[in-house]
Amino acid sequence: MRRRDALKIGGGAALAAPLVRAGSSVEAALGSSPPPAPRFFSADEMALVDELTEMIVPADAHSAGARAAQVASFIDGRLADAFLPADAEVRQRWRNGLARVESLSREMHGAGFLACRAEQRTAVMARMAANEEAPKAPEELFFRELKAQAVRGYYTSKIGIHDEMEYKGNTLLAEFAGEVPSD
Amino acid sequence: MPPLLRVAPPPDPEVDLETVYDAVIVGSGAAGGTAAHVLTARGLRVLLLEAGRKLDMRSELKSMEWPYDHPRRGEMPPDRHALSFNEYTIRQPPYAEGSPYGRVHSYVQGWGGSDYSRNIVVDEKDHPYTGTRYAWVRARCLGGKTNIWGRLALRLSDLDFKARSHDGYGEDWPIAYADVAPYYDKVDLYLGIAGHRENLPHLPDSLFQRTSRLNPSELRLRGALKRMGRVLTPYRAGVTTDGLKHNKYRSRCLGRGACARRAGGCDIHAAFDSPTGFILPAADTGRLTLRTNSTVREVTVDAATGRARGVAFVDTETGQELEARGRVIVLAASTLESTRLMLLSRSPARPNGIGNSSGHLGHNFCEHVMGPGVLGLVKDMVGRPRTLDDGRPGGFYIPRYRNLSDRHSRFIRGYGFEGAGGAGMFAGMATRTPGFGAGFKKAVRDQAGAYVHIGGFGEVLPRYESQVDLDPQVKDRWGIPVLRFHYAFGDNEKKMCEDMADTAREMFEAAGIEVLEVDRKVLTEGWSIHELGTARMGGDPKTSVLNAFQQSHDVKNLFVVDGSSHVSASCQNPTWTIMALAWRSSEYLADELRRGNL
Repeated sequence: MRRRDALKIGGGAALAAPLVRAGSSVEAALGSSPPPAPRFFSADEMALVDELTEMIVPADAHSAGARAAQVASFIDGRLADAFLPADAEVRQRWRNGLARVESLSREMHGAGFLACRAEQRTAVMARMAANEEAPKAPEELFFRELKAQAVRGYYTSKIGIHDEMEYKGNTLLAEFAGEVPSD
Repeated sequence: MPPLLRVAPPPDPEVDLETVYDAVIVGSGAAGGTAAHVLTARGLRVLLLEAGRKLDMRSELKSMEWPYDHPRRGEMPPDRHALSFNEYTIRQPPYAEGSPYGRVHSYVQGWGGSDYSRNIVVDEKDHPYTGTRYAWVRARCLGGKTNIWGRLALRLSDLDFKARSHDGYGEDWPIAYADVAPYYDKVDLYLGIAGHRENLPHLPDSLFQRTSRLNPSELRLRGALKRMGRVLTPYRAGVTTDGLKHNKYRSRCLGRGACARRAGGCDIHAAFDSPTGFILPAADTGRLTLRTNSTVREVTVDAATGRARGVAFVDTETGQELEARGRVIVLAASTLESTRLMLLSRSPARPNGIGNSSGHLGHNFCEHVMGPGVLGLVKDMVGRPRTLDDGRPGGFYIPRYRNLSDRHSRFIRGYGFEGAGGAGMFAGMATRTPGFGAGFKKAVRDQAGAYVHIGGFGEVLPRYESQVDLDPQVKDRWGIPVLRFHYAFGDNEKKMCEDMADTAREMFEAAGIEVLEVDRKVLTEGWSIHELGTARMGGDPKTSVLNAFQQSHDVKNLFVVDGSSHVSASCQNPTWTIMALAWRSSEYLADELRRGNL
């Protein structure tokens, strides 16, 4: 079976430890409609997650980014639907992580993250991402978790699959892509 | 897109348990489906019992559902859990014991969207097992694991059937390639298989339909391997790519994708599954009676004659205890479940189970070891326009190259690799791509089609001490004693895995593919879902359970037509061999019944 490439390349299941064990039920509402009211995050936290995820996967000339794909709502829904007591720790990690972004921003620039200018925000995130391979500091650990969920939310969205990645599946093909070996 | 199943399945006939059927088949997967087809085609009246329920194939096979159309993007509801590699490693079975989750599933749930196959595999809480660690994946539903199988359809050769003659270890099979080849042909033609002819003696070609194709990364690797005297061939898929005139339930492959997400099942049944490949056509003969939700607990025996009389089973919906009777009993419940059933069929005359005068029942367990592999990036492919690599039934296969004519100094037998290059539906590599922002996003986009990966499947040697038996205490949801494992990989497997990782890297380097990661980790026993042996065939009733036609040496009207009969595992994926052997034995069974020998 192709468990290996499912794991490595396309399947997606193994992409990262799940945020929490469950997902959100707000998915169906996502799309062109305005984002639903947050169920786990406060309004301030939601705005912060929205900006952070957009900074990870921004809109560019090729396609829209995490904001348009409502990735913050995706993350909010997953945290809201957490099931186990252990998931409470995950929720707390997010609360603490977002608070750490704010305090880091104040340390670096003397202002909260969303009050900073774009290049100041980028500097904060660069600090968070500095040790991505082997994160140790709280903000570094939080960046890994934030990015994993931003990736999950964005690249499973309509925008991520179709506009950004131009996935060609679910179309009828007369012939497979590629070549038959000539020998 | 609406499902393309063209013809609705016929309604279930009334199940008459007063009748003595010509044959009662236990299990509806690859082996049971084959037996149902061949026996009904030969005019036998057959009762097919399946432990699980019937899937509604129109609504439950979700190979093409978009993640964003799913309420949790493909993940299971909050109260369900899929076991992780870590849990299998640090804990002992039964893995679901004490779990706070409502339901617990095997690791395949974590494989491409956990919600897409939870309707197919069992809840580990209902179906525990004990002993040494083992990642046992079980599907209890009509068609069993064929609803989600990997579809790599390979033949064995005499290098496998006569492995002892080649290297002195274990036992030869009581059959040779020439005995099985005509039945591989029948399976090829009846079910359809895609592939490319390579003329390899150790991996015989099938009667192929239209092959899937290789993308530039894969062609490059093929070229490098050729220079090394090795082969990379397009995935030999148990998928009909040209269609089947004789089967109205299956469409030809339309190359749509998402084929990497096997867990959803193929909604147009181009990929073989037992319900549309065998069972619905068998039902159309009018000679097949199907009963689902029928969990067999033992083979019943006529005390006067010692012959199998029927099977005792529980109706899992009503809890009713019932018996079905047949002139012949055919076990096809999957490798370990068929053996469990034989062990459960105990009596004072047979304290160790039915058909076990040899004492070998449950022993000589074997399978495939997995884990080592390599992930690489083909620089030339970065930034190329997207192609539908995921619309193919699979990527490629690299057949065994160890211990063919040479002899490796550290291990016997061999391994092959499965692999693929190109992009799938989900850009899973994004989490491994460093950074953030526009540069990160572009790198993910540009590199998605440039990755290529291979993972090995190696032969695990059968050993007498690799065994399953019945746990004296633990029972499943139906009060049936569960299996207990006494099994672990040995030294040969560990050394083989080291070589797998080394040669995987060597091949990528020879092809000029940038190596991003070499995986040397060996996955938990059972991970391959290729469990084999425990009721092996053989010429000598003292050292084998079944004869060359998968017939019990002890009880002539008892056949075991699944992977439990295999003498050794080879390194090729077993499904096609399971079906070829079941076909051969079923023809023999029908002939013997007609001759009055059963």
